[in-house]
Amino acid sequence: MVADAVDAVAVTRPRIRVQGAVKSFSGRVVVNVDDLVLGDRPIEGLIGPNGAGKTTLMRMIMHSTPLDRGEISLLPVDGRDVVLSSLPAHRIARHGVVKSNQVVMDFDKLTIWDSLLLAVAEARYEQPHRIFSERAVFERHEDEIRHYLAYFGFADPAAFAMSAGEKKLLDIVRCLLLRPTVLLLDEPTAGLPEDLTERLMDVVRDLAAGGTSVVIVEHDLNVIWSLCDVVTFMAEGSVLLKGAPQTIRENRTVVEKYLGHGHV
Amino acid sequence: MDFVIQSLVIGLTENAPLVLAAIGFALLYRLTGLINVAYSETITLGAYFGMWINTTYGLDFYTVLVPAGLLAGLVSVASYLLVFRAAKQRGVGVLELIVISFGLSIFLRHGLQFVFGYPVRFYDVPPPDTIMVLGVGVTSFRLLALVSVAVLALLLYLFIQRSILGLKIRALASDEDLAQVSGIRPLAVTTLIWFIAGVAGGLAGAFYGVGSNVAPLLGWRQFLLILMVALVGGSWGLGGVILVGVGTSVALAAMALQFDQVLYAQLVLIVAFVAVLKVRGRRLTETAKV
Amino acid sequence: MNLDWLDAFLITGLFEVVMVIGLGLLLHLQLGLARIANFGVVGFWGIGMYAFGVLYVRVDWPFGDPWQFLVCAAAATLVAGVAGLLVGWLIADLDTDGVLVGTLGFATAVQILAITEDDLTGGARGMGGLGFPYDIGRVKDNEFLWLVIMAAVVVAILLYVWRVHRSPYGRLLIAVGGNEPLTRSLGKSTFRAKLWLFTVTSAAMGLIGAMNGVMARYLDVGNIGVGVTLAAMVGLVLGGTARVWGAVVGVILTVGLFDIVVQSYLPLPQEWYTQAIPVLREAAFGLTLMIVLLFRPFGLLGDMRRDKLMGKIHGR
Repeated sequence: MVADAVDAVAVTRPRIRVQGAVKSFSGRVVVNVDDLVLGDRPIEGLIGPNGAGKTTLMRMIMHSTPLDRGEISLLPVDGRDVVLSSLPAHRIARHGVVKSNQVVMDFDKLTIWDSLLLAVAEARYEQPHRIFSERAVFERHEDEIRHYLAYFGFADPAAFAMSAGEKKLLDIVRCLLLRPTVLLLDEPTAGLPEDLTERLMDVVRDLAAGGTSVVIVEHDLNVIWSLCDVVTFMAEGSVLLKGAPQTIRENRTVVEKYLGHGHV
Repeated sequence: MDFVIQSLVIGLTENAPLVLAAIGFALLYRLTGLINVAYSETITLGAYFGMWINTTYGLDFYTVLVPAGLLAGLVSVASYLLVFRAAKQRGVGVLELIVISFGLSIFLRHGLQFVFGYPVRFYDVPPPDTIMVLGVGVTSFRLLALVSVAVLALLLYLFIQRSILGLKIRALASDEDLAQVSGIRPLAVTTLIWFIAGVAGGLAGAFYGVGSNVAPLLGWRQFLLILMVALVGGSWGLGGVILVGVGTSVALAAMALQFDQVLYAQLVLIVAFVAVLKVRGRRLTETAKV
Repeated sequence: MNLDWLDAFLITGLFEVVMVIGLGLLLHLQLGLARIANFGVVGFWGIGMYAFGVLYVRVDWPFGDPWQFLVCAAAATLVAGVAGLLVGWLIADLDTDGVLVGTLGFATAVQILAITEDDLTGGARGMGGLGFPYDIGRVKDNEFLWLVIMAAVVVAILLYVWRVHRSPYGRLLIAVGGNEPLTRSLGKSTFRAKLWLFTVTSAAMGLIGAMNGVMARYLDVGNIGVGVTLAAMVGLVLGGTARVWGAVVGVILTVGLFDIVVQSYLPLPQEWYTQAIPVLREAAFGLTLMIVLLFRPFGLLGDMRRDKLMGKIHGR
């Protein structure tokens, strides 16, 4: 893990830039982020107390929540900047920006096979006249799907995901199958057993090493400290601090507002 | 100028029941979140009840209004207790609730014919006087309808907005759990809402019925318009429903005069309302949980 | 072929059943998979029927049947498809309330236009002049052949629906119906998915309407009321909204019960058939809709069993 956060960035990475982004619900400002760039370092953490606006910010990046003001852009490795906040929600994933969900989100009627085949199926096969394309889609993607099924221990892909943990994991695997350039994970380890958390962290490290920028929102701070190169601290809708994990950990404001003195 | 006055007078007097029905429907929609397709049968049954009491007991129209409204209110309450409350307790979703209400509407519309007979019925009332209002001839029934609707609308508005019971109703509508904790009894208050809505619909039906005839499709014919007025106007509260309802009534009359064909007026309104809903619909993406 | 044993009412009854099964199957794709509550089924069926009728009767075609029928039927299907595209565009980003208004509004508009444009449509008087695109003998023979052709069309629709369940397209529709925002987050355009679904299914409804016009040989505005939507809906819901065979089972038990069994085989007093039976039919349909959704919402066949399906197709 890179300990020194002042290292010059050797490789350009895909980044997300948040500028002047503001969102209010019922008159209360929930997010107010002036200037934030995510993705300079391979794995970044986003922490803060409940109600800090972390999930709302993630949703604003995915444009599933519209912004009241401001702009959020994707700065890809090559090619022009893409203003995500001006795109409809379904285009965000097409640019490689993908998010897993904090609250368990699942398709009740779809099995695990279904869920994953849905994620990987190319748009040209999902048309009213393509009623014989199942075999083609399956054969193209069977290997990568089976890899994840085995890696995370899904015993029966023809069954439905039952427990909350299974559904959470399924959500994450769907994201992985989308081959993201920017991966946002919103509390991915909540509800996961220890061994699966380890496996997830290994996958995240591999992805990041391969060029994907990963941003993790977490309350499990062991995950944050062990995985992240840079940590951003949010509270009451704004970014208060950003820096190396050790710096964040020791900062008085962070300790007071969030960690409590037992963490230092 | 003549045209404007004519449209205003005819529109308001002929379509006053529409406004009353829309208020009742909107009350139900805003306070319970439910689109009750069977509301149109509350209207129809109000017309039938009034006609039946009128022809069976020989009472005049003004007298039968009260029992007609009350009976319609009871039917509304019965539909809540027997159907919709049961549905809610079983956790039936929004879509299925609308389909259930559609089924109830069909059931009532045809079931009533086994009670009241198949042929079209009529109120047995002497021909009403024609009163000149701003140079336009209006029947006394229609004028009564307008006055009643205006009074009832005002009363309902004041009741919901100003009275303590109205406050309880609104509290229940916005947050049931919180309302319950505050000591409001959901069953009693909800039953009251359904009763009031039923009375409003029933009275509207009686006014419709006395003006023309009483047939099973009486309420259903008005349903789409009522639905659109309530959905579009309802976002500005009860006052909005009244305003949009009045505007629609006048527009209907104006276009009917212009096109010489009342159906074209309805067509224009359908297109207009759908356009408004479409434009407004884009703002519904706020509550994404993804 | 000696069809003396075949009662004329039986042929029309069977036709009605087959036709409503077709509508129910299409409604299954809309309502059962994508969860679009189409209360205007009769509008798309009706616009197809009337477009066909008007073109067939009012236009002076340089050729005769069967080309006249084929051209008019194709045009009717296209008209219904365009209507589906328009209405689909209107409702694809609206909530259930908006879909109700949009679809019901469309069906009402079709009814209104059929009445007001009476120069074209015959209005409230109705319009005759439609006929079978062939003549193989007596009326009953022609009707029977048309019933067979209709059945072939509906079997084709059934096969299509069956394949949709086993294709990426069907999976997308189920995902859209189950959790639209989640589907969008995977990069799928749910708006477009719903739009094309509505276009294709509406076109098919229009074709079915055109074929009904031929069978009836008469256009009657009384036929394009909400009863057709009701029949398709109750058949689908009773059988199983989410199942391929739901509409088939349900329509046989509802429309089949009344239009075949009650119509032809129950020894009821003659005068009941003018009013009592039709009214009872509708009342029973409405009651069935309520009871099924309250007590057994997935209908007789139950919910989708995709675990079995995926196990069969892809194994474990």
